[in-house]
Amino acid sequence: MKADAMARSRVIPPLIGFGSLALSVLAFEVLIRLNVISKFIVPPPSEIAMSFERIIVEEHVLQRFVATGSEVLTAAAMLTVVGVSIGVLLFQVDILRRATETWVAAMAAAPIVLMYPLFLVIFGRSPWTIIMIGFVAALPPVILKTIEGLAGTRRVLINVGRSFSMSESQLFWKIMLPSALPTIFVGLRLGLIFALINIVGVEFLINFGGLGQLINELAERYDLAGTYAAICFVILVSIIVFALTERIERWLTPAN
Amino acid sequence: MAAIVQSFDSKASATPSSSDAIMRVEDISMRFSTPDGVLTAVDDVSFAVRPGEFLSVIGPSGCGKSTLFNVIGGLLGGYEGRVSVAGETITGPHASIGMVFQEESTFPWRTVVDNVAFPLELSGMAKAQRVERARHFIKLVGLDGFENRYPSELSGGMRQRVSMARTLAFEPKILLMDEPFAALDEQTRLLLGDKVLQIQQQLKQTTLLITHNITEAVQLSDRILVMTYRPGKIKRIVDIDLPRPRTSDIVSSEAFGRYVAQIWSDLREEASRGMSDDEKTRQGGHPR
Amino acid sequence: MAHAGQLTAARTPRPALADPVTMVRIAIIVGVLAFWEVLSRSGWLYRDVVPSLVAISKAVGELLIDKDYYWNLGWTGFEVAVALGIGGVGGLLAGLILGSNKLLGKSFEPYLYYLGPTPKIIFFPVMIMWFGIGPGSKIALGTISCFFPIALSTAAGMRQIKPVLISVGRTYRANAWQMMTKIYIPAMRHPIINGIRLGLGVAIIGTLLAETKLSNKGIGFLIINAYSTFDMPRMYALLIVLFVLSIGVNALVGRFGGLDKIKRS
Repeated sequence: MKADAMARSRVIPPLIGFGSLALSVLAFEVLIRLNVISKFIVPPPSEIAMSFERIIVEEHVLQRFVATGSEVLTAAAMLTVVGVSIGVLLFQVDILRRATETWVAAMAAAPIVLMYPLFLVIFGRSPWTIIMIGFVAALPPVILKTIEGLAGTRRVLINVGRSFSMSESQLFWKIMLPSALPTIFVGLRLGLIFALINIVGVEFLINFGGLGQLINELAERYDLAGTYAAICFVILVSIIVFALTERIERWLTPAN
Repeated sequence: MAAIVQSFDSKASATPSSSDAIMRVEDISMRFSTPDGVLTAVDDVSFAVRPGEFLSVIGPSGCGKSTLFNVIGGLLGGYEGRVSVAGETITGPHASIGMVFQEESTFPWRTVVDNVAFPLELSGMAKAQRVERARHFIKLVGLDGFENRYPSELSGGMRQRVSMARTLAFEPKILLMDEPFAALDEQTRLLLGDKVLQIQQQLKQTTLLITHNITEAVQLSDRILVMTYRPGKIKRIVDIDLPRPRTSDIVSSEAFGRYVAQIWSDLREEASRGMSDDEKTRQGGHPR
Repeated sequence: MAHAGQLTAARTPRPALADPVTMVRIAIIVGVLAFWEVLSRSGWLYRDVVPSLVAISKAVGELLIDKDYYWNLGWTGFEVAVALGIGGVGGLLAGLILGSNKLLGKSFEPYLYYLGPTPKIIFFPVMIMWFGIGPGSKIALGTISCFFPIALSTAAGMRQIKPVLISVGRTYRANAWQMMTKIYIPAMRHPIINGIRLGLGVAIIGTLLAETKLSNKGIGFLIINAYSTFDMPRMYALLIVLFVLSIGVNALVGRFGGLDKIKRS
């Protein structure tokens, strides 16, 4: 009963979570200073924290952030236009949908990002390699969620539309698309997150572009504290993007 | 009407002094603390169940029926009072009480026969033996032929019968059911009522049914306890003097109609209190 | 109920060729292949970016009889399997603990939830420092990749169990072991299998990406090797085989997990 009440509290669980995190950081700091863990493998957390300033000022993190961000946004824009259009097309042309939906689902399970060397050949070491990988890797969930949203329109709403003798296109624009919008947004959000993950990953792998490249460079320079700090920064950025899109999604989803 | 429906002062006669009671519920009260203060869900409820009897507890939503169900079944602690079966105080789930839940409670990953054999499997009965026992009870609820189907292939009514067979296979002294047919349509409900009557006839199964459906209660019961809306107390005990064996045909008899009318007049007041309470809380700014 | 619908749809036998869906599929495949071949012969693109189908098929054939390929595939398979083993057991345990204990779940699950969808490959430099440049660092990357989805879906699955099923177990006085093996685990098998599927997918990606970055064996190494020698047909062949394998394994896990849903008799 007591643990239950604690679990329901608004303060205690975050306190435990954050407390444990802080404690383990502290433990690392102590163990490293005591030379139990080599500081050539894990730099002391205090040193990582100090190097944040350095990487922000000297390594132009903000410009890099903008570079990565614009790649992600370009990929997201392409996903919205192309992915949703393909989804609508497949939904409208039933035979196409039945023929290809399982293919799209299978592609969602394929390691598409492994195609980056191929894209490197096609687009060269340019932002387009990175953008295209982000776009292609995130395409399947956007298509699938668009179809799911449109197909999930409640029958009774369509019947209401028919009872007002709406045309097929009115039916689509005024009833099916609005009712599918929350699900489509779920797909776009998934797409954006996938794109972000893959874009940062490919930047790191091909040593080109924004935040991902920074990690690669710092690691190649053997700047341990800097590498850790840059990784923390990237993780922080993706958490913020994830949380932000989650907020928007909740705001878009009708409360029922 | 007064000749048929006897009303009692609840406390005095709900606890028969006769030693023939198989189960006793004595002075049960249950309070929950909520943000708006202490809520008394069940208030000083006492009654006794005789062997072989079909007893129903009826009341409007919010009279604490389900709380009572969980208390008697030993799933809920923290109440005042005492529940005993054959003199033994119940402190938790007990082998002599078998429960059938309102919600669909079959295991979707088990076939019908494996569902029904579940309690026997837990008690370590050999496979051949428990399958045979399970088949017997499946037949009893009229599902023979569906032994190897999965619940997802059955209708809601059939699934509730699987739950019932599973509980009966446990061979409890008392069958405790919480609105087992609430989610079903009226026709299915009446027909399942027939099945329950038949099974009860055959097994002489002592049964305690929690329900809010008057027709169902009158159709099946020997006695009905009518409960008040919050806090849940016993308002009246009604003996149902309808001949047995019964079938669902009885619902068209005149005597049946009189019982229903009498119980409805008791319940109407409680139900409307519940309704206005509900509307008040909705006005009070709980949008959902 | 959705399941029942899917099942009947899946079980409806279709005549093989007369079916219009199959016809459309064949038409799409033939169309794409024809377009590809035309493109490759037209010379509009750089040489070999779109190699001819003949060259690709030949490369696939060569790959499939290449001993070297199987040796590298073995290494990658080993790395992925170990990663899935460690990350899977760890994720399962973490999920069971977080799912069954409300306080711990509320305290720590947000961290898993928000760390789950972050790029894992960027940890590779750290993994190299910790586990060296051999298979150890690839396994480590695969492990942290698959830990999150498995832990999260196990925890969510635990909470999704219908309370009434747990009540049923209690009324029949099942002991803790019986509750775990006969109620919790079977009731959670779909989310767990789903978590393993997701985990397998990201473990493959994590391991192979790491191989492309720095290694001397594995399929990822072969891919990046084909890139650096500009052997495009071989790169296509490797990617095709890799995709077929990943999709196949994924489908296999899904089929295995959904099996008991389908009538056995």
